[in-house]
Amino acid sequence: MTHTLKDGGQVLNVGMLARVEGEGGMHIEIKDRKVVDVQLNIFEPPRFYEGFLRGRHYTEPPDITARICGICPVAYQSASTEAMEVICGVQTTDAIQTMRRLLYCGEWIESHALHIFMLHAPDFLGYDSVLEMAETHGDVVQMALRLKKCGNDLMDTVGGRAIHPVNVRVGGFYRMPALADLMALRPELERGLEDALAAVQLVSTFDFPDMEQDYTYVSLRHPDYYPLERGAEVVASSGVRFPVAEMPLHVEEFHVAHSNALHARFDGEPFFVGPLARYTLNFDQLSPRCQEAALSAGLTETCRNPFKSIIVRTVELAYAFEEALRIIDGWTDGHAPSVPTWPRAGEGVGASEAPRGTIWHRYRVNEAGIIEDAQIVPPTSQNQSSIEMDLRTAAEQWVDLDDHALTHRCEAAIRNYDPCISCATHFLDLRVKRS
Amino acid sequence: MSAVEEVEGVVVVGPLVVVGLGSPDRGDDAVGGAVAARVGERMGGQVRVVTREDPTALIQLWGGCREAIVVDAVASGREPGTVQVIEAGADAPPLPTDAFAASGRGGTHAFGLAGAVELARALGTLPPRVIIVGVEAATFAYGPMSPQVSASIGAAAAAVEAELAREGIEATTCA
Repeated sequence: MTHTLKDGGQVLNVGMLARVEGEGGMHIEIKDRKVVDVQLNIFEPPRFYEGFLRGRHYTEPPDITARICGICPVAYQSASTEAMEVICGVQTTDAIQTMRRLLYCGEWIESHALHIFMLHAPDFLGYDSVLEMAETHGDVVQMALRLKKCGNDLMDTVGGRAIHPVNVRVGGFYRMPALADLMALRPELERGLEDALAAVQLVSTFDFPDMEQDYTYVSLRHPDYYPLERGAEVVASSGVRFPVAEMPLHVEEFHVAHSNALHARFDGEPFFVGPLARYTLNFDQLSPRCQEAALSAGLTETCRNPFKSIIVRTVELAYAFEEALRIIDGWTDGHAPSVPTWPRAGEGVGASEAPRGTIWHRYRVNEAGIIEDAQIVPPTSQNQSSIEMDLRTAAEQWVDLDDHALTHRCEAAIRNYDPCISCATHFLDLRVKRS
Repeated sequence: MSAVEEVEGVVVVGPLVVVGLGSPDRGDDAVGGAVAARVGERMGGQVRVVTREDPTALIQLWGGCREAIVVDAVASGREPGTVQVIEAGADAPPLPTDAFAASGRGGTHAFGLAGAVELARALGTLPPRVIIVGVEAATFAYGPMSPQVSASIGAAAAAVEAELAREGIEATTCA
């Protein structure tokens, strides 16, 4: 819907991406072909999770925080269990960590498949929705549904539920999945890997706007593997690296009037978390097959074009399938599902790589195991400044486009981030004001 | 698995599936699962009854079926607990996708029942007959179902069973 403002400016309202739970918007003001104001407005009502975690038992955050998001619950569970295990001073086993990684593969598959094909691809193929896209690209949509089902089935088998897994606890799991149940998933995972590798080539043929951004990339890093369920340290493209425990020293949250989600700075500057950051900072940890797929899709070892995030996300999708198969092939029955934990007074930080970027939790617990303070920092919150930076760049770079085309370009720029504004917003009302 | 049949030129396999859709955590959204449980108990294994939280799963679940009966909470402005039966299959007119595009619960990535129906229609995989048994919700907040919706579980189950009876499948236990 487009209408003219009293001052001659234009207002464009972009329809929402999916079902609504709140509202978010974008306000762009253009004066003399220059962008004078960009605001990503997140109207999501405050949910007070950090507040009502206070006074709860240290064992509860995995189940409570998982309810923040139906798409990335494992991200919350991984960060909260790690933080609590740090506080308790317990080490889990390699088997537990491996199974956590497998569960996380399920989440990445679910989330990436949904975003790549059903939310993001229509932007490149010229459709307003996946419903329209299905008319001419039915095979792609069917593939997306197959891929997503693989993620759901993996989450269900390992986590006990396709959405909001219930098998995760501080110290590990309530029970380990049986090897036979995991092996039953193998055929669909094998097909999923082939589909995902084909999808890398498919999305590489899209027409990508020419845009490069000089973000400070931030990601977890692990010496042995591409970061998913946790990392040994945090690394940044600025050269800074530090243990996960020091995240609160580098990331400062602050409030802006136009958003109900806290913004954040990394060492005082806007920063970027997510697939582009993970890929650029951890390319060497991808499997040879995924590295080859990325390079043959036209990527280099770094990627700074946010619109090409769809290629990177698809490479990560293939990697998640590969990892899932690797883990299942090496799995044996008989591992203890958890290690015992007991309360201890202290403070701890846990972090993981959600599909859309680094998420970290900080808790302070007293000697009775009661949470005294909680801080939850999701990726979309951290990325808000970068999203606004991209919108400013996009609006100026393509200011000569008509309002309809500019709106589409800007909305695609938002979707590059796979924003979990549900963890935040569900409605994007893009307003471009020209004068 | 039933015999292969031909319905108006389209080859379909399998009888039908009953799906309770919705999140058990989100107030009245739990009604789909609750009704499915009730129907499953009374049907004694004569029909496939499942629960799903993710509406995208429906598209593959009902693929190849002649009929799907989906129970879900709805928000249409009626009195909470009101049970509606809506036909939405390939033989029925399209659902308004405004509901998918501009309402519902669950955030940016959620995908509604109407969206699943219309996406399956676009893909050519929508069963000829899809019956939606909708229960008007009072709340989608975390927590239990509202008293009105809890009280309507029997009526919604009866609506499902009436549709199954039309297909010649009768309950094996007393209500």
